[in-house]
Amino acid sequence: MKILVAGIAGIGLASSVFAAQKLGEYQPQRPPEQVYAKVCGYCHGRNIGPILLGRKLPTDTIKAVARQGRNGMPAFRPTEVTHEELDALAIWISKSPARVEEHGK
Amino acid sequence: MNEFELNRRGLIGAGVLGAAMVGLASCDNKATLAPGVSKADFAGAIKAMRGVVGDEWVFGDADAVTPWKKNYIPDPEGRHLPVGAVAPKTVEEVQEIVRIANKFKQPIWPVSTGKNMGYGMATPATPGQIVLDLKRMNRILEVDPQLGTCLIEPGVTYQQLKDYLDENNIPLWIDVPTVGPIASPVGNTLDRGVGYTPYGDHFMFQCGMEVVLPDGQLMRTGMGSIEGSTAWQAFKWGYGPYVDGLFTQSNFGIVSKMGMWLMPRPPVYKPFMIRHDNMADVPKIIEAMRPLRVSNLVANCNLMMSASYQLAMFKRRNEIVPDGRPLDDDSVRKAAKANGLGMWNTYFALYGTEDTVAAIEPIIRAQLTASGGEVMTAAEMEGNPWFHHHQTLMQGGLNLDEIGLLRWRGAGGGLAWFAPVAAAKGAEAEAQTKLARRILDKHGFDYTAAYAIGWRDLHHIIALLFDKSDPEQEKKADACYRELVTSFGKKGWASYRTGVNSMELVAQQYGQVNRDFNKLLKNAIDPNGVIAPGKSGII
Repeated sequence: MKILVAGIAGIGLASSVFAAQKLGEYQPQRPPEQVYAKVCGYCHGRNIGPILLGRKLPTDTIKAVARQGRNGMPAFRPTEVTHEELDALAIWISKSPARVEEHGK
Repeated sequence: MNEFELNRRGLIGAGVLGAAMVGLASCDNKATLAPGVSKADFAGAIKAMRGVVGDEWVFGDADAVTPWKKNYIPDPEGRHLPVGAVAPKTVEEVQEIVRIANKFKQPIWPVSTGKNMGYGMATPATPGQIVLDLKRMNRILEVDPQLGTCLIEPGVTYQQLKDYLDENNIPLWIDVPTVGPIASPVGNTLDRGVGYTPYGDHFMFQCGMEVVLPDGQLMRTGMGSIEGSTAWQAFKWGYGPYVDGLFTQSNFGIVSKMGMWLMPRPPVYKPFMIRHDNMADVPKIIEAMRPLRVSNLVANCNLMMSASYQLAMFKRRNEIVPDGRPLDDDSVRKAAKANGLGMWNTYFALYGTEDTVAAIEPIIRAQLTASGGEVMTAAEMEGNPWFHHHQTLMQGGLNLDEIGLLRWRGAGGGLAWFAPVAAAKGAEAEAQTKLARRILDKHGFDYTAAYAIGWRDLHHIIALLFDKSDPEQEKKADACYRELVTSFGKKGWASYRTGVNSMELVAQQYGQVNRDFNKLLKNAIDPNGVIAPGKSGII
């Protein structure tokens, strides 16, 4: 239950912890919540791709699928999601609880 | 080719994923090199590129290149697989890489964000190329809220640009293609893509470029080469021949910066959906929409979506008809009706003030009701996921709903866009729909299509959806695509843009004089032929 509460609080705070890009500067490293919201979450949990959160997926599987793009999923190159971002993202996805608002098969 | 075959098959099933990766890691790169490039040349180029961008950003073996190989298009012969990738972060690094490519005669295939879905993503037109991946060049260099302009690098995504505008409360819209979050304004504009606000013809709203020429020099177009000019993003034409077009759908240079116009957020935005109940209503809809578009009373590019295309976004084919059965109109109509859709669903919006929208709305309502259409707005369509999708797109909003198309037919993820152009006349569209359906039926594929209604033209956007995990279906899709291109060509209909699988084929249709002219330019500008050979059939 504690984890679930933390998860919901995390969603509420998400936009304030996102790394903002400044004019003339490169995109800074993004926290996993931001990568999920701005890349993964457009499909996963929206009936386009399978739900990822709350399934305790192994981090190695998450990373391999992100880089190769399974089935209809595009591949994400280290130029798009850096190795550091993907490492953090895989741990975050693996540990995150399910979200009630997500749906999909 | 076996390594590639193993690689691609390895993407398919969860069970084999781990094994395929281990297998690949131990493979040498035995991929086909480009004509005239020796192993020593390739190795020399890779080594020199490492010296420019660092080891971390050069990918020169089969395992490391895997993320650049994924695409959705039919490629039964494995012709469109890169042999390496290099990812610079600055324009100076791009210039150095171009010089290295010339030295070793190693072709490079530039991509911005590499998400040209259904047109080949990051994969090249011919074998043996190293992908020049510009995604790391992702700075938003200038935004002028007064002029409504911006200057960006190729690796900036629509998501980055929109986030920047939102975070800084700048009341300008972006205009997105259907896969906005992960695609780039530069890449889409250079491929002459379209979006769905009044700024939807992306190349028309482009203004000023910086280009790395094939000899490594840096050129600015328009007003950009005038020292001290403040009008680089304000005035498109500059002086003398207008050359920006030469760098779209071509291989004459590498665009390293691009200017764009951004639409001021209007006080009122009102989206509409027009439902027509019959497949045969195609000419009625086009005839009704054309005067509204030509007069600019309807100012955005309309999407006239077939029910099957709409259903394919959020449904699986076997929810509509059992596997193995043709997708018949009655079954589609039944599913469409159950989801609040007609057989054709035409989306457009009005933009303006309360007064201007209120003045135009009765005119368009009368015109479209007379065509037999039902005029729907957010008031009637609230909560409908298809309406929501288009409502989002037509105000430059972001989603990836269209990736759902990849799950329509089996799990394998196969999509090739076929996009022939026609004049915006009802009879032409009717004939195109008939021809497309005949060819698709013959090969066992579905007519999942839309018309994008431009100012005076139609882009007939046909999604050829297949299961890429089934090698036989991939071969059939390849044959079907080729027949679509050639049969449409015989009627005078050619593509406005095409995937790496068909660039040569489409180039042939545009005629020998045009091809020779492009070749003359190519030989003069890029005598070693190192920039993206095969792009638009130019080698």
